[in-house]
Amino acid sequence: MSAVLTVEGLVKHFPIAGSRSVVQAVNGVSFSVAKGETLSLVGESGSGKTTVGRCVLGLIKSTDGAIGFHGKPIDRRRNIRSSELRGRLQLVFQEPAESLDPQVRIGNTIAEPLRSMGVSRPDQRQRVREVARRVGLRDSTLEQFPAELSAGQQQRVGIARAIVTDPELIVLDEPTSALDPTARAEIIDLLIRLQQELETAYLFISHDLSTVRYLSHRVAVMYLGMIVELGTAKELFSHPRHPYSVGLLSSVLLPNPKLKRESAVDLAGEIPSPIDLPTGCYLAGRCPFADDQCRSEMPPEDTVAEGHTVNCFKHRDALRGHEALDYFDDFQVEAEKLLGAGRR
Amino acid sequence: MAAVETTVAPQAGAPGMTMLDIAGLNVSYPVYEEEPVRAVRDLDLSVRSGEIVGLVGESGSGKTTLARAVMGLLTQPGRIDTGSIQFDGKDMRALSENQLRAIRGRDIAMVIPNPRSELDPLIPVGKQIAAVARAHLDIGRAEADAMALDMLKAVHIPDPTRRFRAFPHELSGGMAQRVVMAISLVCSPKFVISDDATSGLDVTVQAQVLDLLRTLVREHDTSMLFITRDVGITAHFCDRVAVIYRGEIVEFAETADFFENPQHPYSVMLLAAFAHNPALRNKWHKPLASTEAEAGRACLYAPRCVHREDECDERHPDLRELGGARHLVRCHFPVERVA
Repeated sequence: MSAVLTVEGLVKHFPIAGSRSVVQAVNGVSFSVAKGETLSLVGESGSGKTTVGRCVLGLIKSTDGAIGFHGKPIDRRRNIRSSELRGRLQLVFQEPAESLDPQVRIGNTIAEPLRSMGVSRPDQRQRVREVARRVGLRDSTLEQFPAELSAGQQQRVGIARAIVTDPELIVLDEPTSALDPTARAEIIDLLIRLQQELETAYLFISHDLSTVRYLSHRVAVMYLGMIVELGTAKELFSHPRHPYSVGLLSSVLLPNPKLKRESAVDLAGEIPSPIDLPTGCYLAGRCPFADDQCRSEMPPEDTVAEGHTVNCFKHRDALRGHEALDYFDDFQVEAEKLLGAGRR
Repeated sequence: MAAVETTVAPQAGAPGMTMLDIAGLNVSYPVYEEEPVRAVRDLDLSVRSGEIVGLVGESGSGKTTLARAVMGLLTQPGRIDTGSIQFDGKDMRALSENQLRAIRGRDIAMVIPNPRSELDPLIPVGKQIAAVARAHLDIGRAEADAMALDMLKAVHIPDPTRRFRAFPHELSGGMAQRVVMAISLVCSPKFVISDDATSGLDVTVQAQVLDLLRTLVREHDTSMLFITRDVGITAHFCDRVAVIYRGEIVEFAETADFFENPQHPYSVMLLAAFAHNPALRNKWHKPLASTEAEAGRACLYAPRCVHREDECDERHPDLRELGGARHLVRCHFPVERVA
């Protein structure tokens, strides 16, 4: 598998006006996304996941590190806006209603990326119809305005606009968090189907862990601008190693009162300010296992299994006996039983 | 309707007693030259003292309209057409605006999302909590400030003495939400309505806020109507669960019973949205495209229902008791569990 996207040691600091200190939003992040693969970035708000996505598209200039698209760098001159990469990288936004121009008909909205690439009018029209059908929009919808559509349909338009150029990588920034659960499930199924058909690579940014488990191949857990754990979705959700991952996963409330979350890790407090970062492990202030080493040194990356890395000094001792967290898998088994029901 | 003398029921607040009783409530929004939009339809709902009732529905189902109707805070031009709202033995619809104002914030409090937009950006948060206490309780400034500080401690705000003087923009989202909770709970209300109050929070913070809310509710024997889009939360937080669809309650049951044995096809579809097996999920879910422009059926859910029959188009189903344990469902052909 060749990597579509490689990110090496990405750092992004935002200056604060009138101050010498900076917001350290991203502090050395490395990962890659292969063709046809979904890598998810998860974490609380303020963990830097959106900033990573914007750096990847070249929408903001990174402070340090390298971003490669098929091995060639993305930077200030070569980015989503440059003629060379235009259409090959795309973006789907969080709020479908706000990302669509209310005064532009749906068909023209979807055609917009093609216009900027200089595709002829008849070709545009044909391509738009093709893509609209692919995402499940009717031809008549193309003549409508965004306000006439439901939120789920609006997000279909957002996705159609992204895939209309047949991109190799799509950055999806919380594409389902503004949707009702039923519309969310439809959009997720659509994204999975499109990826199988088009072999697009997805960088999926979300704090909705249930969705992430379903749609990702690999998952990177971010905390204060760093990846603290990275592994396959199956491995990471069933055997999370980092105390933060364990705390995060056990906070998810799935609709089954019998599956009580018993967490070995109680994450007290909230994410610290990215302006004054603590020395040592960034989680030390919230972690029940932290000791002096954690408070003074930054834990290195530790490989625990093929493709599964953890940045924690304590993961071998602290979570022994609590390693298996079958909450998500148990829920699916229970759900299958329940949904197998019939009519009275 | 003649003004009804407000009577205080004997032993108000005793456990198990009905704290809020909504009967036959209809709320609509008039539309120019068209039929009014019926946001809440013939709705019956009761919440007992010390109980947390979850109300689950998608956007546009009438959840927030219901909450605002109970508070007497419907946004214009919404209006209550018929129905009664009894709170703690008082007929809320018969009360004057002044009488309502004395109850809101004192006996009934509401927690809403977007904590930052609810807080005054120019007043320290401690003072905002104290102001509510002073408005409703006959206490002085110093005493109100002390109560506010106690509330900040109760909602686990770190360093409460310093945060008392903090302005809303200096707090994180989770902390601002806790300040809003402190404002709601400072007068120890008998009843709290939470309207999607945790939806904007991270899962870790949401878990903390819910634990805290439950502890506070239990300690003060408060009742609660917990409105949410996320059926997952209700499983772990509520005593009973009601599902609302287009302004109607379609199912109402004890939490364990509801999740063990959901009977309305819509409830099952809401649960199915969490399943990762698309074949199983689609068994309960018609794609949206095929359900457009099909209003006016006898059963409001018929256009989206996978079990629809002729009877569903002809006769509106009543909310009826099924399978005992006070499990109510509004469906001609309820779901039966096979396992």
